[in-house]
Amino acid sequence: MAEVFIYPATSLILSDLVARFGHKPLGTALSIRERIQTAGLDSPPLQMTPDDAKKGLRWAAVEVPSGVRGRMSLFGPLIDQAEAAIIVRNPEFAFGCMGCARTDELVEFLVKQKKIPILELDYPADEEEGINFVHSVKNFLTRLGGVS
Amino acid sequence: MTGETVRIAQLSCGPEYSGVQKEIYAAAEAVGAEVFFPDLSLADIKRNFRDFGLDVRSGDLKLAIARAVALVEGAADADAVFIASCFRCAEAAIVRNELRRYIHEYSKLPVVSYSFTERTTSGTLLTRMEALTTIARRRALLARERQTGLTMGVDSGSSTTKAVVMQDNEIIGTGWRPTTEVIASADDAIALALEESGVKRDDLDAVGTTGYGRFLVGEQIKADLVQEELTVNSKGAVFLADCQHGPSTVIDIGGMDNKAISVLDGIPGTFTMGGICAGASGRFLEMTAKRLGVDITELGPLAMKGMGDDVPMNSYCIVFGTQSLVNALAEGHSKENVAAAACHSVAEQVFEQQLQEIDIKEPVVMVGGTSLIQGLVRAMGNLLQTEVVVPHHSQYIGSVGAALLSSGFVEKSG
Amino acid sequence: MKEVIPPLYAGTVTKYVFIESYKATPDDIAARAYEVSGGVMIKETCFGLQITGKEEEVERVISHVRELDPAHIYVKDRGFPPGDPRRCRANLGGARPGYFGHEHEMGFIRRIAIGLEKLDSPSDIPASESEQKNTEGLSVKRLMELIIQEA
Repeated sequence: MAEVFIYPATSLILSDLVARFGHKPLGTALSIRERIQTAGLDSPPLQMTPDDAKKGLRWAAVEVPSGVRGRMSLFGPLIDQAEAAIIVRNPEFAFGCMGCARTDELVEFLVKQKKIPILELDYPADEEEGINFVHSVKNFLTRLGGVS
Repeated sequence: MTGETVRIAQLSCGPEYSGVQKEIYAAAEAVGAEVFFPDLSLADIKRNFRDFGLDVRSGDLKLAIARAVALVEGAADADAVFIASCFRCAEAAIVRNELRRYIHEYSKLPVVSYSFTERTTSGTLLTRMEALTTIARRRALLARERQTGLTMGVDSGSSTTKAVVMQDNEIIGTGWRPTTEVIASADDAIALALEESGVKRDDLDAVGTTGYGRFLVGEQIKADLVQEELTVNSKGAVFLADCQHGPSTVIDIGGMDNKAISVLDGIPGTFTMGGICAGASGRFLEMTAKRLGVDITELGPLAMKGMGDDVPMNSYCIVFGTQSLVNALAEGHSKENVAAAACHSVAEQVFEQQLQEIDIKEPVVMVGGTSLIQGLVRAMGNLLQTEVVVPHHSQYIGSVGAALLSSGFVEKSG
Repeated sequence: MKEVIPPLYAGTVTKYVFIESYKATPDDIAARAYEVSGGVMIKETCFGLQITGKEEEVERVISHVRELDPAHIYVKDRGFPPGDPRRCRANLGGARPGYFGHEHEMGFIRRIAIGLEKLDSPSDIPASESEQKNTEGLSVKRLMELIIQEA
């Protein structure tokens, strides 16, 4: 089982397909869960504190806006952990963790820097593309050594 | 604070991820307001975003735009709007600016925008939130155009404390002291104002306080009205400048921070407060006067005699500003020219950092102690390409506003 | 929003189960989940379920639910437990941002469902895998030819 970073990291479709074909999807829900389940934090709603923006300095310099650095503290550890990645090109209407385009650009770049197996594709625009999409994802995941 | 909870719609990108959402909640709660996110369907988001026409990439900014449209069109209800995005984000700054302008133009909702860092605290946001709730709650009071009865206003500012006694729409006594110990300075200023007006504390029908020390002084003198300086100063400014109807712009360059307020019919619509550094405040001019060996009251006339154009000065940061001040004098520039350059630099900082965040509509009224520095007023007028109005008693603006508004309590109690 | 909320359900996971099916409704998958719920917490929603519990138990319930209509039931991790006041629509005044993202993907999830159904019939799978479409457009030369042709 491989740990597969998904982009958008909030994607229901990618999360489902990766798990369905036997791998572990790495999405930001995991990073948020970690904070929500940490005792002693008091920073609703996400339990993210100014410290997260400081942790984000590992991936983005101090002149980068705090929201980017804060988000990077969610994405960064997932990227570190990732053994493979599936990237949907130009996902529209992704909000929250994926709601900042500048962060998203940096995330995509850092994933590509990692030299791990990456599948890049577009959201399906019709049924035929849907068939293609699922088939490509499955093939990619199978090659990673998952169960079909 | 009295009255029902004020509902402030939040349009934002990034505060949850910067650890400052909690601070926003805390500031709102402290002034009896609640922050909420206007509810929309995805179809509404897509339509509103498309209709607005600003094609940004970030999803959360699209959401902010869609929510703003819903507020303006009445599809979502709110009493006020708070727009917030990360400091240093160009994409968000464009959205913040355009949304503020759009809401101001097409609705009656008071709106404030703010760019935060992870260091932003609820204390920083408090006065802004308070002003939003005041505008929402006290529209009737803010609509008051005449002072009635015998009232006093006290403005406990960071540099000076001012008091004004008014009777039947006229100023009958004033007093000011440098702020040292907050209550003692207020007592002194009040004593001066009462003495000049020839009335006793017990004769007053109502009292109002404003400024940084408003809560402390308000409690001490049992004020009827304790209100932040954004709404109070706006009211005082349009009252004294006799522009209570229609649009106006109020600029108050203070000792610690600056206020720029876009006013319509005496009520603030949009406003900004702050400034990155004291280099853009009256404090820098005080330092300049000290360095030039003149009293602050002489700085203005001195600057009027000088030409600042060939003196390099940038007070973006007060440390660098002071350095260029020292350098300019060392290079042999005249006191007059240095004074003029310092005035220009402060005006330029306010212009660049704050006046871009509001809509400048004439008349432009400058108030507060710094409005007495003619060189600064001239520099601001040059930058804005307009004749800046400085009303009489402009240094007492907060006290006049507080005396005027507190007279709203005279009729109530009478 | 005032009170400090201690971590609820520490050591558990929460997963969303979405359904987009003509064979089964959210009620049906809830009933099916309850059959094997054991120690997990199940919350019914308009789009399906939220299941909270130890990871292996949640997975067990999900496998059971999925059997109902495998190509039309979708699962995703959630950071918050269900009903968390920090993320609850009632407290926020509006939906959490993630909700819209799900709504967006659910808008075309049928295309994924078809893809999943066709996996079992290899003859329907197109020969080429998803390749980046050529978006470079016409060459200048060809464009000039067309302009001249039309003129």
